[in-house]
Amino acid sequence: MGPRWKGKGSELKALANPISNSISDLQSSLIESNSQGILSGSTVLLATNPQQTDLLNQTCFGRPVITVDKPNQWFQFSLEEAFYLYHSLKCIKIVDGNHNIKTVNELWDYMVSKRASFPDFFKAYSHLRVKNWVVRSGCQYGVDFVAYRHHPSLVHSEYGVLVFSDGNGNRNGNDRLRVWSDFQCTLRLCGSVAKTLLILHVNRNGEDVICSSPSCLDGFSVDEQTITRWNPERCREDQAAVN
Amino acid sequence: MEIEDWAASSAGSSDSEVTLPDSDNEDHCYAYGDLPKLQFRKGGSKARWKEELGMAEIISNKGRMWITTGIMRSGKLYSFLEDTLFMAEIGALHLLDEMDKRIPLEDIYKKVAEGVGGSSWESFEVYRHLKSLGYIIKRHGVCWSMKHDKNVPAFVEGESENGSEERVSVTEITELLSTMQIKDARLVFDVYPPNSKFRKSNPGKPMFILCINSGNPPTKKQIKDLEGQCEGIPLKFCYVEHGRVSFFSFNEIELAVLP
Repeated sequence: MGPRWKGKGSELKALANPISNSISDLQSSLIESNSQGILSGSTVLLATNPQQTDLLNQTCFGRPVITVDKPNQWFQFSLEEAFYLYHSLKCIKIVDGNHNIKTVNELWDYMVSKRASFPDFFKAYSHLRVKNWVVRSGCQYGVDFVAYRHHPSLVHSEYGVLVFSDGNGNRNGNDRLRVWSDFQCTLRLCGSVAKTLLILHVNRNGEDVICSSPSCLDGFSVDEQTITRWNPERCREDQAAVN
Repeated sequence: MEIEDWAASSAGSSDSEVTLPDSDNEDHCYAYGDLPKLQFRKGGSKARWKEELGMAEIISNKGRMWITTGIMRSGKLYSFLEDTLFMAEIGALHLLDEMDKRIPLEDIYKKVAEGVGGSSWESFEVYRHLKSLGYIIKRHGVCWSMKHDKNVPAFVEGESENGSEERVSVTEITELLSTMQIKDARLVFDVYPPNSKFRKSNPGKPMFILCINSGNPPTKKQIKDLEGQCEGIPLKFCYVEHGRVSFFSFNEIELAVLP
């Protein structure tokens, strides 16, 4: 399944505006305004100026929060998104409710305490973002993320992404999609919205089971695998046409 | 048609989203007495069941089905239990025992239940599903045909290309077939696309090799191990639940780096 562009001109528009450029502009703008996000539960809230609002929308980081606060726009980020801005793009700082700027280790510990699989999820998220894929939450579709080739207004999402934590401890089976009905369920969901199921296998490669700092991420590796259903009836029709 | 509509609504689901890649059309609930009945074909083939081989030897073959079914050894045609049962179910084959007495369908089902010749009900269901759609299916690890000189035992197995063939006796074949049942995820069938010009003497490469998982879905490691045994031919997995066969492919990809 290749990219499905929405309407005429979308593909050209996408080519003319590479995601990497928008991200780079976003990075500069946030650094310049010394932006600080507020850590609240499993969310980081950020006030943005109009230019940053635009860039965040273009690159699909976070969700706008509707308020009457003018001229600020507020955005909320997931832990992965916030940490990506903070640690990978290094363009925001993060404070707690008491205005204390969090250190990288404090943030890391906090996020891992919220979710033990945060390191794997973050690795998967950043794996996609580094390749300039647009990544959003997949919870509406029963997956972890959905990945788009460009902005969702220009192109349909290609992949429904699940993150597998491989090779951690002795396990004979998968830690997700453990039984066949899991496959059926996820594939049906993905298929009905025309996405391919993409599994990102995150391997810790023997890094500490308790990943104590973000530097452990360097030792992680990510393997990509798609799972597709094969339909012998459909295939046979194609085959007959060929023969 | 009324019955089908009722079946669809009682089955419950119909996604209203974009496209459903697979259809639920096969879900028919039959009213009593409506079950389709297959007619026994006139002039069906005859085969004798060889207990020691776990296979049938075809005595008289009628019809074009044998072009794509069964294996040739020393000019004789043999069929595995799934081939035999498939033909028997559709009335294309009379199976006889050593006394030339007809073996009823019930006894053939019992052979499958016993796992004779490395068979299983699940693998038969998969076989039947694909065979009915016109695919050409052969047990993995077995050649379509081999010719021999008269000095060689009646039944052999091995590579058919050049002269260096591994010759094994009948008992080793039976051992090979019985070990096929031990592992859970194993390579079961070589599947070829529907092809009216198929020749056992020159079958070409299979379209894919099929692995049947009765237990849990395969892990990445298991997939890798099995792919290693496929010599570059695509691998597919399937499992059977309640008479429904589902097929899956696991594909390693490299996601593009976008601009």
